[in-house]
Amino acid sequence: MTATLTEPPIATKPTSAPVRERRGRGGATRALWVLPPLVLAAGFFLYPLALVVKQSFVDKNENVGLDVWRDVLNSPSFGDALWNTVKIAVLSTLGCLVVGFFLALVLSFVPFPGSRAVSRIVDTVLAFPSFLIALAFTFLYGTAGVVNAAADKLGLGEPLVGFLYSPWCVVLAEITFYTPFVMRPLLAAFALVPRERLDVAASLGAGPLRVIRQVLLPEAWPALAAGGSLTLLLTLNEFGIVLFIGAKDVTTLPMLVHAKGAVTFDYPGACVVAVVEVALSLTLYTVYRFVFSRTGAGRAGLVA
Amino acid sequence: MLVWSRSGRALVWALFALVFAPLVLAPLAILGIAAFAGDWNSVLPASWTSENIREATAGTNYDSLVVSIETALGASLIAIVVGTWAAIAARGAPRFVRRLTDAVFHLPVAVPSVVVGLGMLVAFSDGPILLNGTKWIVIAAHAVLVVTFAYSTVSAGLDRTDAAFAEVAASLGASPARVLLRVRLPMLLPSITAAASLAIALSMGEVGATIMVYPAEWRTLPVSIFTLTDRGKVLLGSAVTVVLLVATLVVLMVVGLLKGRVEERRRRR
Amino acid sequence: MTAPAIERTASAVASAAPTESAIGIQDLTVRYGSVTALEGLTLEVARGETVALLGPSGSGKSTALKAVAGFLRPAEGRITLAGRDVTYEPPNKRGIGVVVQNYALFPHMRVADNVAFGLRARRVPRAEVGRRVTEALDMVGMAGYARRYPRELSGGQQQRVAIARALAIRPPVLLLDEPLSALDATLRADLLGELQRLRGELPDVAIMYVTHDQTEALALADRIAVMRDARLVDLDATDRLYRRPPSEFTASFLGAANLLDARVLADCTAGDDAVRVAVGGLTVAADPTGAFAEGTRALLVARPHTLGVAEVDRADTLPARLVATQWRGADYRLTCVLEGDVEREIRIDVTDLAAVPALGERLGVALPAEPCVLVPAGAGG
Repeated sequence: MTATLTEPPIATKPTSAPVRERRGRGGATRALWVLPPLVLAAGFFLYPLALVVKQSFVDKNENVGLDVWRDVLNSPSFGDALWNTVKIAVLSTLGCLVVGFFLALVLSFVPFPGSRAVSRIVDTVLAFPSFLIALAFTFLYGTAGVVNAAADKLGLGEPLVGFLYSPWCVVLAEITFYTPFVMRPLLAAFALVPRERLDVAASLGAGPLRVIRQVLLPEAWPALAAGGSLTLLLTLNEFGIVLFIGAKDVTTLPMLVHAKGAVTFDYPGACVVAVVEVALSLTLYTVYRFVFSRTGAGRAGLVA
Repeated sequence: MLVWSRSGRALVWALFALVFAPLVLAPLAILGIAAFAGDWNSVLPASWTSENIREATAGTNYDSLVVSIETALGASLIAIVVGTWAAIAARGAPRFVRRLTDAVFHLPVAVPSVVVGLGMLVAFSDGPILLNGTKWIVIAAHAVLVVTFAYSTVSAGLDRTDAAFAEVAASLGASPARVLLRVRLPMLLPSITAAASLAIALSMGEVGATIMVYPAEWRTLPVSIFTLTDRGKVLLGSAVTVVLLVATLVVLMVVGLLKGRVEERRRRR
Repeated sequence: MTAPAIERTASAVASAAPTESAIGIQDLTVRYGSVTALEGLTLEVARGETVALLGPSGSGKSTALKAVAGFLRPAEGRITLAGRDVTYEPPNKRGIGVVVQNYALFPHMRVADNVAFGLRARRVPRAEVGRRVTEALDMVGMAGYARRYPRELSGGQQQRVAIARALAIRPPVLLLDEPLSALDATLRADLLGELQRLRGELPDVAIMYVTHDQTEALALADRIAVMRDARLVDLDATDRLYRRPPSEFTASFLGAANLLDARVLADCTAGDDAVRVAVGGLTVAADPTGAFAEGTRALLVARPHTLGVAEVDRADTLPARLVATQWRGADYRLTCVLEGDVEREIRIDVTDLAAVPALGERLGVALPAEPCVLVPAGAGG
């Protein structure tokens, strides 16, 4: 950024440019420039979404009504999926918040040789596909996996029978994958806390726990809220991890959409589940945007 | 500055290692090991082989790799153009148009990828635009998923750059087109390349929307990996995953080099 | 204010028996990796005494303070508080009041909660917390601001709150790290007066005051420790250090003295009066701060306000050329270049421009009637 700012960006020949005064034309022309991308977004994103909603009210025999909704909502697989989705997302988010807070705290305030490398690794994980974690977990926690084999060698038996196919494994995998999403905004927030504030707090007699509770946590709330709600949103929508672990009993809403839409080609049913899922995450997203616009933290730190 | 005693610090670091190693390091390391494992039934593989890596870069897997790279580049290019255009145009637009653009371009992050895929299937399986069964439905789905990151990264970049530069250029008599090409876009180059890198990385690993819409002859690498692991070929699947990661890093490095070239050329001018 | 300070110096120094030592620093060395930030500092601060650590940035003065506060772990040496070894004790067990340059107030707490922080950390009973918060805020004249948040206060007010917060725990030792540097000139002067008043109200507190500003050091300190390049250069009572600086560095850093090249004309030791030295073409009397052999090169210390301007060819003056004049309100500061083998720039403060020639003209520099202090050339520099 600085490199671009320091060089003169207007080193072109201004005299050769035809002098045109466009300032007076006002907002109407300038608003027109937004139209092409907006039309594309409408055509390829909003229009399909609208069709999904419409399709959910049309059954396979082209009858319009609430029949598909009634069928899907009454099916036990839907209730299970909804409950699993919410349960896994909430537990994963809580785990990410706890683990992410601890890791960010240590990286920021108890740094060690190599902590920069650790931050780099964390940044890299952000760009990885999530299914990678699930694949690794099959080697680690599978019945014939490394953990069981190691425990067996140590004479501890095989402690992880069935763990891979339990919701807990999905939760652990999502914590692994999404913890960086909590850490990024936290690290940014902690970087803004002057070290003197912690020093002075200690000199006033506060131990580490009191400093964390009374000096650092209040600074971290906005970042925790922003990172936490984004993580909740992403874990609600997570698909790759659940798909790759492939536990038969752990079905979530995105898995149900996939099963109905791409496996059994029940488009109307898939659309009903999709509408529920979108409604759920949109509600959350609105909350997230609200938190974000109030604090200004989070998104910029996550994306840029 | 937070934990003062040496023993306390050692304790904190030990706890850090205890959390970090199994949670982050172990999964990454295990994939690398699996990619080169010949036979693995105990703590460590019984034998090593490069056969899996060879197979992962040949035949259908090679085809999938090419498909993945083409999809990522195509979708990212579309997303960057549309996202950058929208971000810059929204700046000059009246307030409510700007907020509308903001909302529309941020929305895809809140919609599950499988739903984006489902929408594509529902909308483009018949009617005026028939994309289902072609590679374009995959590319379109990817573009929709990553455009939000392109838009918000470039918007953040615009927030950081000083509007005064463009105003000074305009006051010197530069036309809006010249201001855009010679001042605003070059100043946004870091944001645009950052957005491109992110878009490429996300697209290369995308699985949710792709698995909904992909036609048989346009199978991306993540879908291939899923097919392999679903059939129990987990070691080969790991090898293909490693190939995917390496390919992603290579593409990102090329993007970084291109950015360096552009900046170099501008400096010489 | 300076006069009583000097009187107190005498008593404080006289009563600085070992039992009265509030801060003891022995051979303290602090390193950051391969960089030595502080080298072998030894310093005692007595109960009720104010010692200023004065020096340019990077001289190690803040490092010394941070080590005493416990924020840094020394590589070597020992730190004691009232005789108790605290070298490796964490800061929260030391019971020291610390005030830093950027106030470091807790932004999400009201003023009263900021001040109460240390008391609550010590589990002082609730009723007493309120009383002591009021007392501390009263001391710095901020009692009316207890319900405010730090962001609603000016820089000077924030620093007062920071001082109140440090005082609320009633520390026997107060460390002030450049407390006025972040303030503008007017506020700095106000708060300096406030600190002088507080000093009088806290007769038993030992204060270590880190600053790069000689005005603050002169106004507040009983003794000044001059630091440079991670080392202690000179340490003495404030007025003695100002009047008879023992080194070239201290002479120029404390009071911005002019240093004139001189040659000693007779063997002498510290305390001899009227030693003859040659300056330019003149022979004048000097006051040596140490032993000098005949023929040694030395430096004559002359403060800008003690020099005068005369006609250029007067016999008892040094010829020079005027290169700049700066009006400073109370006086004019003239910058001249002495004629001679080495062109040395000197500064002269005059209240009247009548006798001063035009820029670029020659003039005569009149040395003070009193003998100037003689310091070794190159020592400490």
